[in-house]
Amino acid sequence: MFKAKVKPEVLKELVEVVSILVDEAKFTVKKGELQIKAVDPAHVAMVELRVDKKAFEEYKADESELGVNLLKFRDVLKLTNPGDVIAMEHNEEKNQLVLKVGNITRKMALVDTTGLSDPKVPNLNLPVKVVIKAEELRKVIKASESVSDHIALETSPEEFKITSEGDNDSADLVMSKHMLNELDCKEGARSLFPLDYFSNMVKAISTSETVTMLMGNDYPVKMEFSIAGGNGSSTYLLAPRIEND
Amino acid sequence: MGLDIADIVAAEPRELADFRGRAVAIDAYNALYQFLSSIRQPDGTQLMSPEGKVTSHLAGLIYRNSSLLEVGVRPVYVFDGKPHPLKSSTISERRSRREAAEVEWREALEAGDMEKARTKAQQSTRLTGDMVQESADLLGLLGIPCIMAPGEGEAQASHMAARGDVWAAASQDYDSILFGSPRLIRNMTLSGRRKVPRRDIYVTIRPEMIEAERALAQLGMTREQLVDLGILMGTDFNEGVRGIGPKKGMKLVKELGDAKAVMAAKGYDIPSIDAVREIFLKPNVTDAYELKWKSPDVAGIVAFLCDRRGFSHQRIEATVGKIAAAKSASAQKSIDAWF
Repeated sequence: MFKAKVKPEVLKELVEVVSILVDEAKFTVKKGELQIKAVDPAHVAMVELRVDKKAFEEYKADESELGVNLLKFRDVLKLTNPGDVIAMEHNEEKNQLVLKVGNITRKMALVDTTGLSDPKVPNLNLPVKVVIKAEELRKVIKASESVSDHIALETSPEEFKITSEGDNDSADLVMSKHMLNELDCKEGARSLFPLDYFSNMVKAISTSETVTMLMGNDYPVKMEFSIAGGNGSSTYLLAPRIEND
Repeated sequence: MGLDIADIVAAEPRELADFRGRAVAIDAYNALYQFLSSIRQPDGTQLMSPEGKVTSHLAGLIYRNSSLLEVGVRPVYVFDGKPHPLKSSTISERRSRREAAEVEWREALEAGDMEKARTKAQQSTRLTGDMVQESADLLGLLGIPCIMAPGEGEAQASHMAARGDVWAAASQDYDSILFGSPRLIRNMTLSGRRKVPRRDIYVTIRPEMIEAERALAQLGMTREQLVDLGILMGTDFNEGVRGIGPKKGMKLVKELGDAKAVMAAKGYDIPSIDAVREIFLKPNVTDAYELKWKSPDVAGIVAFLCDRRGFSHQRIEATVGKIAAAKSASAQKSIDAWF
């Protein structure tokens, strides 16, 4: 059983965070929260997300799984105006999610969840921690997009550096320890990431003011941030590129 | 050419993409012969530069390797070194067959029989020292490692696979299994379609893989017994026993234990058996090699193929561009690497 009412902006944020990686996702509905875990088809990145029932206007649920087509969900969200509340109810018999926005009822067929595997979460030892303002990340992404298709995250005990290097151009963001909310790094570390993924991730972080980045050397990066006005949290995991030669 | 055990060893079909991220040691002579024999015009004429020099091997190398590199396969080419003295009769036999085929090709052309001309042309395929050198040069420009084997290229490729430096050996021959490679990939360097001989039908060629351990378990034989089966059937290094094919040979070897027991029981005589066993089981190989893949030298390739050998600038530039793009993409890791 799943029945809830929610402000469109909460749903929109959640859909944005997940839909940069997949078009379909399994929503695991629990008594106290909603969870989503998904890995992109190329297995380069994954997202883990949980939203507390407090983020909803109303929330009633037993344990169940909904296979949701995020593109359809996004279309429904386009119908909403600020101040609206979306009512959602799972029709288990027909395996539909019934959404009501204003005077519109949209019955959405759900996807068979057996096809949506539960991704395993890798066990990572990430020695470096950086807490940075999301706004800084958005700026460096903008500066890098015309430069190259990858980006390097580099830390030393004193500073955090994001660099993008093309054949002739380069862009970088350098922030010393005192400019960051937090920097915990004992040994220098550097990893390279695909800019398209990184950029989509940063852009999907919309309401969280800060992002906690956990890193290593030639290692995946984990980005943790809050969603739903602090009533939920999300984590992106992105695999690195390894430089040849 | 090599041991024909296709009838008794099941090869599993694979897609090229299944070998993503894998280093594969390719039997260079085997691949070059394939390019030279298959990349031909309908009348059997090979591709040529404006000066009339054959370029089929180079066309094969550039296009096939671009497909391999594009899906993230890391090829290594292993060239034959000095042939084993026991191979000399095979070599001279091949030479006379080629020479005969060349004569028949001309005759078929004069008679206007295009079918036959093409077949005979393919059988007349020659690989010259110049072509080998050019191929190594082009591979160097592509950033693909080339290894010179002390003896058989297939033996060296198998040795590298057995050591785990590469994932598999690639050849059309099954000898790699005899040489001890844990995996053999066939059709690695063949392109998508092949004409069925003497018929107007084309079949799609897909890579296939043979896993040594599974294949031997399936046959119920050890590698030593498979080598012995090869010796009874005949290898590049010895003449086999007339009338012994894969099925009969396998039955005998399994029943009696090894080839010597079979020979004793049946009165066969293969004087070189010990030497041939040693060729396969203690092959002449080297550990002195380095595997390093580099970025392709785009300008160098264009100069080599287009400026000097008349390849189309547009096609070669597009091909090399794809390789370069794939190279940077293949460096992308999957999160699965951290499970």
